[in-house]
Amino acid sequence: MTQAEIKLCSLLLQEHFGEIVEKIGVHLIRTGSQPLRVIAHDTGTSLDQVKKALCVLIQHNLVIYQVHKRGVVEYEAQCSRVLRMLRYPRYIYTAKTLYSDTGELIVEELLLNGKMTMSAVVKKVADRLTETMEDGKTMDYAEVSNTFVRLADTHFVQRCPWVPATENSDPGPLPPAPILVISEKDMYLVPKLSLIGKGKRRRSSDEDAAGEPKAKRPKHNTDNKEPIPDDGIYWQANLDRFHQHFRDQAIVSAVANRMDQTSSEIVRTMLRMSEITTPSTAPFTQPLSSNEIFRSLPVGYNISKQVLDQYLTLLADDPLEFVGKSGDSGGGMYVINLHKALGSLATATLESVVQERFGSRCARIFRLVLQKKHLEQKQVEDFAMIPAKEAKDMLYKMLSGNFISLQEIPKTPDHAPSRTFYLYTVNILSAARMLLHRCYKSIANLIERRQFETKENKRLLEKSQRVEAIIASMQATGAEDAQLQEIEEMITVPERQQLETLKRNVNKLDASEIQVDETIFLLESYIESTMKRQ
Amino acid sequence: MASRGGGRGRGRGQLTFNMEAVGIGKGDALPPPTLQPSPLFPPLEFRPVPLTSGEEGEYVLALKQELRGAMRQLPYFIRPAVPKRDVERYSDKYQMSGPIDNAIDWNPDWRRLPRELKIRVRKLQKERTTILIPKRPPKNTEDKEETIQKLETLEKKEEEVTSEEDEEKEEEEEKEEEEEEEYDEEEHEEETDYIMSYFDNGEDFGGDSDDNLDEAIY
Repeated sequence: MTQAEIKLCSLLLQEHFGEIVEKIGVHLIRTGSQPLRVIAHDTGTSLDQVKKALCVLIQHNLVIYQVHKRGVVEYEAQCSRVLRMLRYPRYIYTAKTLYSDTGELIVEELLLNGKMTMSAVVKKVADRLTETMEDGKTMDYAEVSNTFVRLADTHFVQRCPWVPATENSDPGPLPPAPILVISEKDMYLVPKLSLIGKGKRRRSSDEDAAGEPKAKRPKHNTDNKEPIPDDGIYWQANLDRFHQHFRDQAIVSAVANRMDQTSSEIVRTMLRMSEITTPSTAPFTQPLSSNEIFRSLPVGYNISKQVLDQYLTLLADDPLEFVGKSGDSGGGMYVINLHKALGSLATATLESVVQERFGSRCARIFRLVLQKKHLEQKQVEDFAMIPAKEAKDMLYKMLSGNFISLQEIPKTPDHAPSRTFYLYTVNILSAARMLLHRCYKSIANLIERRQFETKENKRLLEKSQRVEAIIASMQATGAEDAQLQEIEEMITVPERQQLETLKRNVNKLDASEIQVDETIFLLESYIESTMKRQ
Repeated sequence: MASRGGGRGRGRGQLTFNMEAVGIGKGDALPPPTLQPSPLFPPLEFRPVPLTSGEEGEYVLALKQELRGAMRQLPYFIRPAVPKRDVERYSDKYQMSGPIDNAIDWNPDWRRLPRELKIRVRKLQKERTTILIPKRPPKNTEDKEETIQKLETLEKKEEEVTSEEDEEKEEEEEKEEEEEEEYDEEEHEEETDYIMSYFDNGEDFGGDSDDNLDEAIY
């Protein structure tokens, strides 16, 4: 794990779980797999605190444990999973676009709590939805269950590994930690629950609840003893499936930008058809015949078969090679080159970064070297039509920024420098890694700056919160406008401006984080896809 | 040995490769040598492109900020313990400043976690001897025998430190203790026999007495 990644993990853990969890988590990321006592000793925290922190981290799938021989349990942190926390808002928004508010809340609850049983999720989401509905309306559990089942069917949520049921009733000495198993076919199996009920509204003057609190306490225990039908079956959000969806989205929008809406729709259809048949890490999708594509086009998209064929030929001939033709049967078999598509997207990102950082002439040189693969100094000047001095300057700037690298080709076996060719080339994989590292650093800087800004204005923020609370309580008890005006004036005009500036800055920093995370996703997908192929 | 001094004297400044191959022509001025690390905030040549805006962007932004706030309120956010003040105050006993005895606020599924992560609830075990029996009159006799057995074993163990060897001894009692864990959390809230809401901090004292001025104030 690079320093930049560790720093970013530390900031994320601290923001979301507090300092104690951050200390333990960062220690585990740095040192790898360790048992409980060593962690407590090395970090200098008390054993109880370490236990609490580990429970939280395991619950959120950030740390896994393994039982070694002699009963020692070792804990290992997953750095890449911690970095996913940046992407939570994007996952939730995607769920909203696909399954509307119910889906959004289900995914949000699963992400906030790590893992939950289906009944717990359904109950909580129904309650939350009921809060937002008008008076008198409640959300039915059945509707929430349906959305949950749909999410499981499309693999957006999956079951967590579970404790295998032991057949013999007397297991002997219990193992120090349960070994969890997972089987492919059961991963999306929804248990048969008959959840009947409606969401409850949390109201302070609820007539139902008034007589109950005292009577509830002795009954409290009996409620817990009721067997929960899906006890032990926990669900978590399936991040890989979301990533697949983001990747598809990126490819479709790239095609739309390069060609037109219709071709992007065709590509979207092809991707949708291959969702189930192709594993997410395959370099290209299963071949689809043109007839199948024609049948699966969305209803209302009336283009004739001939036009579709023309579009497919156009797509296949495009130099970007998103779509490839793999055969002629069935009207033409077409595949989508996922690996090549990711490569093009990563390259486009690199080009864009070079352009924004060094200028458009540098970008021209960069694209030239990309296209021709290897070029000598003289050839660069000639092809790019840029005077020698400037070309040299730009090349060296990019070289020191590690976007371009030098390739030595010796003429003689002794590698004498005067008799060696020095060629400029772009190694996309290493440039992508360098850029990814830079992205991690950027986000860490953004988070630090945001925390600094908030800390600077802490006093002012607290004051404004207090004033808002006072106004809210006064409005509830029915105060006059003049009184409210008076309270609002407690915050002076320059203070208000300061608050406005702070809000604007924090929003800008947050939005930047989200955008950098999109770049991180593209680069990571490309690097992962390349590593799988090697 | 003879060539060591020779390399310095003759042909100073000769490089092993042809400079023109890398593009530095004869007589070109080279940039000055760098004597310090690059500046922390180098001046930007080009201004950055503005952020993408739009409905989606704003929604995701709002979501992000909401999530941040929400996660701070969840029980998973562990705050460091409040440092003890210089003098122990009477009201400390009646103010609940955090989960007592480092217990966890939420209930993980202990069947899925290693056993060593379970925090033993210790402090109340001493007081359980007195509180448990009067508070649970409807308990049937079987449970009573279990608890009496348990109390005897617990009395022996009050001073021990949590360690893995102990867990093997307590294996039989563990199953029963797991049932009792829920009772513990309720008792955590009150170390005393008094109902929390009845306790008066004394802050309102003096405010009520202004109403009835007929009676003498002692």
